[in-house]
Amino acid sequence: MMDELELLKKDWQKKEEHLPKLSYNEIYTMIWKKSSSIVKWILIISILEIVLPHLLYLIPSMQDGLDFYEEAGVTSYFLGFSIFYYAGVAYFIFQFYRNYKEISALDSAKNLMRRIIKTRKTVKYYVLFSLSMCLSMFVVLAFFIYFNDDFILSFQEATAKAKTINIDKIRTAVMWTLLIGGVVFTAVLGAIYFLLYGLLLRKLNRNYAELKKLEI
Amino acid sequence: MNKELEHQFVTELENNQNIVHKVCTLYTNDRDSHNDLFQEITIQLWKAYPKFRGDSKFSTWMYRVALNTAITLYRKSKKRINTQDYESVIFKIKAEEYDPTEEEQLKLMYKAVKQLGDIDKALVFLYLEDKDYREISETLGISEVNARVKMNRIKNKLRTILNP
Repeated sequence: MMDELELLKKDWQKKEEHLPKLSYNEIYTMIWKKSSSIVKWILIISILEIVLPHLLYLIPSMQDGLDFYEEAGVTSYFLGFSIFYYAGVAYFIFQFYRNYKEISALDSAKNLMRRIIKTRKTVKYYVLFSLSMCLSMFVVLAFFIYFNDDFILSFQEATAKAKTINIDKIRTAVMWTLLIGGVVFTAVLGAIYFLLYGLLLRKLNRNYAELKKLEI
Repeated sequence: MNKELEHQFVTELENNQNIVHKVCTLYTNDRDSHNDLFQEITIQLWKAYPKFRGDSKFSTWMYRVALNTAITLYRKSKKRINTQDYESVIFKIKAEEYDPTEEEQLKLMYKAVKQLGDIDKALVFLYLEDKDYREISETLGISEVNARVKMNRIKNKLRTILNP
């Protein structure tokens, strides 16, 4: 076998003449092309993840939703929630930026992979954070409605028909709808995120595992 | 200044492009992917170039960036057709210099190397490029001992592929 590899080595070094040859100009145009590396994809997806949820507030119906919170008297909870949430987001953006900056193609293969995985982990924790915030938002709202009659009453006044229905029934129904809806919504979002990253980093994870296995 | 840097970089890459082509040959199966990977490596090299201080040879530095791009950074583009004839062009063996059995053997060897995983390919590539274990271990980020162990395993793996 040793001899065969040596034979291959000799042949390999002779093969250069068969390789394609690019001109100066061909290479020159290449340096201005856009990269499509996975690091770039992680960056793009992460920016979308942070920006997209906030774009929802630009939709008129969502703004109505905010007014509706105000009427229902949830504003102070909502404000506290927002402060906590944005502090979290700021922390994750900072962490992401720090890890992202450390990624360098000049590193050894193993270090490069480790750094990318670290950056992706920051995104993973951000996603988990956002998802749990989203879920707790639903839960808080559900219990708020359950324990606060004002909300149901204002709701009931709006619909004439509702007067004929038992208030307890509406209360329970609204709470369960919010809870189940919240869980389903969170689960679907989570599945999309993890599928996306799973596909994007499948090759990297496999290669990193292989290099790590060597160190044991 | 910038223009000068561009010129310097493109000239260096033009003179050393064989290294990148060899990596592309090993990691892709058709001409489109070859060009695609070549382009991505070029972009990564250019991005990293300002950090290249000249404390090592340009070619040494290229091995690292090219392999990192092929193994880790590169995202395959959508179309993926395996064209057999392309491989035979690149891996063409010069018949005059070898007897038929040796030629056959080499063909099988190249085929076997192409079947290896990404990391194994990188080791074989550096080995074929006559790099020592110190450089192999530094490029991949593993210890020298482990690089040797891994290389022995790859030799065994190749043997199994060649003699099933």
